[in-house]
Amino acid sequence: MRKLFGSLQAKYMLLIITALAIVQFAYLLSAMLMSGIQNQFETNDSAAVYYDEVEHSWHNDITRLTEINSKAMNQMFEKWSTTYPESSMFWVDEQGNLASSWQVSWDIPSYWTSSYTVSFMKERYGSDPFTIVALVGDQDASGFAVLEIPRSVFNPPIMKIYDQYGQWLIIGVVLIIMLFIVISYLFFRSIRKRLLHLQMAMNNRNSDGLPIPITISRTDEIGHLENAFNHMVTELNESKLREQEEERIRQELIANLSHDLRTPLTKIQSNAYSLTQLSLPVESEQAVHSLQRSVEQIDTLIENLMSYTLLMSHKYRLEMKDVMMIRFLREHLATWYATFERADFEIDVSLDGMPEFVWKADPIWLGRVMDNLFQNVLRHASSGSYIGLKVEFKHGYEVIIIVDHGGGMNSPSNESGAGIGLSIVDMMINGMNLSWDMQSNEQGLTVEICKPHR
Amino acid sequence: MSGMIILTRTYKKGYVMTHILYIEDEREIGSLVSQQLVDRGYEVTWLQSGEGAESYVDLVDLVILDVMLPGLDGFSIGKRLKRASDSLPILMLSARTAMEDKIEGLSFADDYITKPFHFDELVARIEVLLRRFQKQEQLLLIQHLHINTKDISITNTITNEEIQLTGKQFLLFQCFIRHLNQILSKNQLYEQVWSETYIEGDKTLMVHIRYLREKIEVDPSNPTIIETIRGIGYRVKQ
Repeated sequence: MRKLFGSLQAKYMLLIITALAIVQFAYLLSAMLMSGIQNQFETNDSAAVYYDEVEHSWHNDITRLTEINSKAMNQMFEKWSTTYPESSMFWVDEQGNLASSWQVSWDIPSYWTSSYTVSFMKERYGSDPFTIVALVGDQDASGFAVLEIPRSVFNPPIMKIYDQYGQWLIIGVVLIIMLFIVISYLFFRSIRKRLLHLQMAMNNRNSDGLPIPITISRTDEIGHLENAFNHMVTELNESKLREQEEERIRQELIANLSHDLRTPLTKIQSNAYSLTQLSLPVESEQAVHSLQRSVEQIDTLIENLMSYTLLMSHKYRLEMKDVMMIRFLREHLATWYATFERADFEIDVSLDGMPEFVWKADPIWLGRVMDNLFQNVLRHASSGSYIGLKVEFKHGYEVIIIVDHGGGMNSPSNESGAGIGLSIVDMMINGMNLSWDMQSNEQGLTVEICKPHR
Repeated sequence: MSGMIILTRTYKKGYVMTHILYIEDEREIGSLVSQQLVDRGYEVTWLQSGEGAESYVDLVDLVILDVMLPGLDGFSIGKRLKRASDSLPILMLSARTAMEDKIEGLSFADDYITKPFHFDELVARIEVLLRRFQKQEQLLLIQHLHINTKDISITNTITNEEIQLTGKQFLLFQCFIRHLNQILSKNQLYEQVWSETYIEGDKTLMVHIRYLREKIEVDPSNPTIIETIRGIGYRVKQ
């Protein structure tokens, strides 16, 4: 039973049934009430009257009068007055004189002419009060007697009840409707309140950005919804944990793979270094240097391949923050300066005097982009022996410009590859909501990295 | 202690060698790198696992640590060593190149080099760490200057006189010596010496560099010790 009434649907049905029962009860009550009142009316009004019966009865009583005088007439009027207290009566004799009257409220003439009589009858026909004119006696020579009864006396009892108790009935009906509205409002307000609470609880997030389980308030439909939500939260948490575990395994695999590939390279590098410490013939020395360069190339390729895989699967960690670009470029180029110096590059830096500007970017990604671009200059544009780095503000954009004097993109290079380095640059620049452009000709390559000026 | 190899070279009496603890499980790499370090004048203790590494904390000047080791990994060993001695420089030398590994390594270690590495780079970084942690009294000769890296005392070998520096000049020169051969940007120098953010166009640093040059350079108008790297900053090269 408790389970049955734990349901919102059951509660709502109970509410409707109760409302219907109240209406039915009200009908029954009013019917009983009216029946009682009607009985009372009927008891009080034992002469349930109808127009024909009254007319017939009046004619009978008047024509059957044996003794025709004022006294007898007044006795008859009194008798009728007992039955119909609201009635009035009068008698006009054969000469047209008003012989007797009973409870007449209007200004009745003392002498009735034929024309006045006709006019009176014409006026009273079908009007209120209900008027019966009967000839007195069986000889029709004793004048006429008139009975006047207000038509309201002939109204049915229900109309009388309505007239007397109508306002209480209306008040009762309004009260029942109001009661139903109030109970319905309270019922739906309680549902709404719980739904809003549920909505707020669903919007709460933990540190991982996942929803937090909510306390189940009751065992009704909303309680089932809360339960289902909690179940979903549990599944989400499990899914998140599974994802984190898969991510950990994947990273571990990449790290192990990287380790396993680099370990033999380290052995080759270390052995090659040991060889360079010996006095080798020139050809052997060149071969060792070539070996060392190849190791460095493979190392870069492995690194690029790992990064490319991570970027393609959107797993390369990106942390956007404010980066002061002039400072960043200075410090980053400083780490490459010695390398360019060793390669006899002219290093042309035009950053002095430029106002500092801030980009929203990941400094590690930016560093990786610059590393790839500088590495490309070293590898593919060494013939130009020139690298330029400057910053410009043009067409509403802040632009970092890297210039080399190599042979451009179409010039042959001993170390050309599949372009994975530039693909990484492209993905990282786009990933940081920046744009870039390359202009290549025989004089060299110009790379521009842009961001709209804030 | 299993897997422990100590490599030294005989030096003249009174010479204190820098002692490096090298933890590397890969035999060939461990052997080659240890030997190359010994050839460069370091005393090397090579362990093939982190077992017992903590007992060397007070005996060594620097630790070179691989990450993937049998038993406890390099990160755990490094954290334990750093807890045992905060003043012991740790250099991670690993084939793990993922950014997460580098970040975890640098959370306690003082440097992180990825394999394959160039041996000269490894030695350069060892020297930087030793200077930074003042683990050795080292006399540097930069052109006509004799510099004791421990107390940054400078002697002009031409006049045989000690050069006296003011507070800011001393801090500037110390900064250059700690980052020998590295280019330091104006921002880095200003922030290290003045502990304030550098504002582009501020001439304070330039003025102090000029005063410092007047004291240490033979020809301050044509400086050769403190190089100006146009557009980037300054460098002192050995």
